[in-house]
Amino acid sequence: MPGAPLPEFSSSVRLKYVKLGYQHLVDNFATFLSIPVMVAVGLELVRRGPQEMVGLWRALELDVIHILCSVFVIVFVATAYFMSRPRPVYLVEYACFKPPSNCRVPFSTFMEHTRLINSDEKSVQFQMRILERSGLGEETCLPPANHYIPPHPTMEASRAEAQLVIFSAIDDLIRKTGLKPKDIDILVVNCSLFSPTPSLSAMIINKYKLRSNIRSFNLSGMGCSAGLISIDLARDLLQVHPGSNALVISTEIITPNFYAGNQRAMLLPNCLFRMGAAAILLSNRRRDAGRAKYRLVHVVRTHKGADDRAYRCVYEEEDAEGHTGISLSKDLMAIAGEALKSNITTIGPLVLPMSEQLLFFLTLVARKLINPKRKPYIPDFKKAFEHFCIHAGGRAVIDELQKNLELSAEHVEASRMTLHRFGNTSSSSLWYELNYIESKGRMRRGDRVWQIGFGSGFKCNSAVWKCLRSVRTPVDGPWSDCILRYPVHIPEVVKL
Amino acid sequence: MDLLWTISTALLLCSLLSILWKESDRRRNRNCYLLDFVCYKPSDDRKLSTELCSDIIARNKRLSVPDYKFLLKVVVNSGISEETYGPRSIIEGREECPTHDDCVDEVDDCMYRTLDQLFLRTGVSPIDVDVLVVNVSMFAPSPSLTSRIVNRYSMREDVKTFSLAGMGCSASPIAIDLVNNIFKTRKRTLAVVVTSESIAPNWYCGTDKSMMLGNCLFRSGGCSFMLTNDPSLRHRAKMSLKCLVRAHIGADDDAYSCAIQKEDDEGRVGFHLSKSLPKAAVRAFAENLQRLAPKVLPVGELALYAVRGLRHRLWRSKEAKTDAATAARVNFKSGVDHFCLHTGGAAVIDAVGRALGLAKYDVEPARMTLHRWGNTSASSLWYVLGYMEAKKRLRRKDRVLMLSFGAGFKCNSCLWEVLRDLNDGGAWEDCIRAYPPQTLVNPFMEKFRWVKEA
Repeated sequence: MPGAPLPEFSSSVRLKYVKLGYQHLVDNFATFLSIPVMVAVGLELVRRGPQEMVGLWRALELDVIHILCSVFVIVFVATAYFMSRPRPVYLVEYACFKPPSNCRVPFSTFMEHTRLINSDEKSVQFQMRILERSGLGEETCLPPANHYIPPHPTMEASRAEAQLVIFSAIDDLIRKTGLKPKDIDILVVNCSLFSPTPSLSAMIINKYKLRSNIRSFNLSGMGCSAGLISIDLARDLLQVHPGSNALVISTEIITPNFYAGNQRAMLLPNCLFRMGAAAILLSNRRRDAGRAKYRLVHVVRTHKGADDRAYRCVYEEEDAEGHTGISLSKDLMAIAGEALKSNITTIGPLVLPMSEQLLFFLTLVARKLINPKRKPYIPDFKKAFEHFCIHAGGRAVIDELQKNLELSAEHVEASRMTLHRFGNTSSSSLWYELNYIESKGRMRRGDRVWQIGFGSGFKCNSAVWKCLRSVRTPVDGPWSDCILRYPVHIPEVVKL
Repeated sequence: MDLLWTISTALLLCSLLSILWKESDRRRNRNCYLLDFVCYKPSDDRKLSTELCSDIIARNKRLSVPDYKFLLKVVVNSGISEETYGPRSIIEGREECPTHDDCVDEVDDCMYRTLDQLFLRTGVSPIDVDVLVVNVSMFAPSPSLTSRIVNRYSMREDVKTFSLAGMGCSASPIAIDLVNNIFKTRKRTLAVVVTSESIAPNWYCGTDKSMMLGNCLFRSGGCSFMLTNDPSLRHRAKMSLKCLVRAHIGADDDAYSCAIQKEDDEGRVGFHLSKSLPKAAVRAFAENLQRLAPKVLPVGELALYAVRGLRHRLWRSKEAKTDAATAARVNFKSGVDHFCLHTGGAAVIDAVGRALGLAKYDVEPARMTLHRWGNTSASSLWYVLGYMEAKKRLRRKDRVLMLSFGAGFKCNSCLWEVLRDLNDGGAWEDCIRAYPPQTLVNPFMEKFRWVKEA
């Protein structure tokens, strides 16, 4: 966005207070309206005096029956109203997989392996440059099969990785919540790049001996934003089935997806994708409302697949030598920005306070009718959310979103630090970021969180959560042993 | 005072009315209507005759002569005709090293052909689609198959897409379950479901017998169908969903590993079908029927069953020799008129037919589908339905039961009610008159008779 000419300091300060006043006025319009009414009523009461009030009450001739009926009517109306509202969906607890330290891939290991596996010096240099600027740290992890030289991507190894990451996360979740496997009603699993038959959901049903009438779904190929698609599906299912809970598993299995060729656009995933998984327990049971951490407010899905450029920007294909890999186009940032804009147009009216929406609307009208050259007003999402979890797809994605949404460094800290500590764990990254915010003791009751995921297709999905109880530190999670070291400064380039 | 009374009564009436209105609204929008379905008919140059099958099998130089004979025997005795279809890459000799494009083209051809026809027949524009579900068990590229469809047909930005994978041969009812649940949360929604299977990337080129059966039996096929919960489209709908039951016995280790994709001893990936598969199928089937029967059968039949069961238990000592299964059998035909059975193989169809007490007429659609199309995995149910429709068996108020099995191990079923007399030929249009044929015996039985000899 081109910078507007800076106004004079004094007038800008006045402007700031005018804007603040305007925001308070519009946001609390109802309150401001009711104040004069209440004052008038209060004055009237005082004027009439207490004797008249008592006389008025007696004149109504209310006996017990009338009072009972009125109370009954009020209770009935209130019940009808509450019953007609959609069931709330609570996030009871979630757990993220903490990779064992023997799976660590520091830069030196990665580069050494790359040199031994890849004979093309240019590809090796390219990967080194990517790693230097990636924003990843020295503690990210790859599955055991990728530590072989060359990597050993068998189906058995892929299943082993799936069992390791998924079962660890679920075991952790069970330990934290006391969840009984037989109690799970709905199971949704998303893993984009590995879909064996029977599915990963069947693998989980087998391991934990889940019930035979469980509603299970296995989503695959849906990219890094599939975590929120699973949440969306679980939410729809929970709307239909009262008194149920849902287990959502988001993961990405790295083992089968090592790219063995030399096409630059396809080497990026090798450098950025790392092991991770998250297990989330959602519920619509009233008894879980007391212990739930968050309540799901909105999920908005945007699919830009109709646009060819967006569709092709993350594309699995074979290179000239027959190696399959995922090609990332150079337009990725621009497309992510556009997808985000589309998503914002839907989610904006749902979450922004009235003041921001009005400003946006008025600026739009002004642009259309008065001056088309006027800058479009970017709504201030910091007024709608306290915390932001942006998919840690890569440094450039986080930079782009920070710019687009005008966020401060603290707002994107969770995303940057997750990218540094865990790498790009695909659909589960949002949950590592949320855990970072909690581990830092920043999550207070009433805070609103915005999770934004991007993925192949091209999709931009977002979810809005409201925190129901302050999360006290220390938090038992993947950050528990290293949170005190964070945030770290991540240099632009780490010289290797 | 009167004012107070009037206000309270008015409020009460309003709330009562609003509750009734919401309830009736919910019921009206609860239905899941099948607007239309289109089964995939590949081009004729992809037909797999027994001779061609034998050539393809012979290409695998790792097979010994007994293995070759075994496979040929399977093909010849499978009940599959000379008219079934295979993927182009396998016919052209690339079965051991299919390219990514081969796999994508195979699925694209199925999806786009059926969807083009579906949109044409229903008159619905792709831009009106609210929900899109694709289920292809053994192939999940990035971007997903749903994204491929969204791109090709320029669907809306807020379309809800779901790409199910790994869910086996019974994924069709799972996709319907997904859509049905979404229908209950939104009004006037239109959903398109594409169900198919990918064979090209999954050809097994090793020598493990348990993994070679898939090579012999699976054939190319697919189906696209359109569902809606909009009551205003009811008059155009073919069927309405009555109930859906899913049973998953994956908790049992034998059941989970009886149909599983894995590597053989030499590291080649194949689909292993173990000897305990029939047992797992029976258990899953029983589990499903236990929950299905009360929803599907009339009260009279259920009462009779209870009485028979009680009598059997009480007089067990006297009728010790009676087979337990026949002693207390439910007559499913009292609640169901037509049976769409998954065409997993001739043995599967016969076993299910016997278990349900079905006559030859009832299993004919499934046997004929196996004959004409082979085992097309998740979409087989739709070919069976297509046969019934082409034979003009489906009349208004008839009830159709779809029953399928899949890896996991699952048994899923759904009951439909036919809304109007149906008579579309569909994919069977050009050959329905030849069915049922005089004999299902493979015409090359003479030529391959040496196979049967030791």
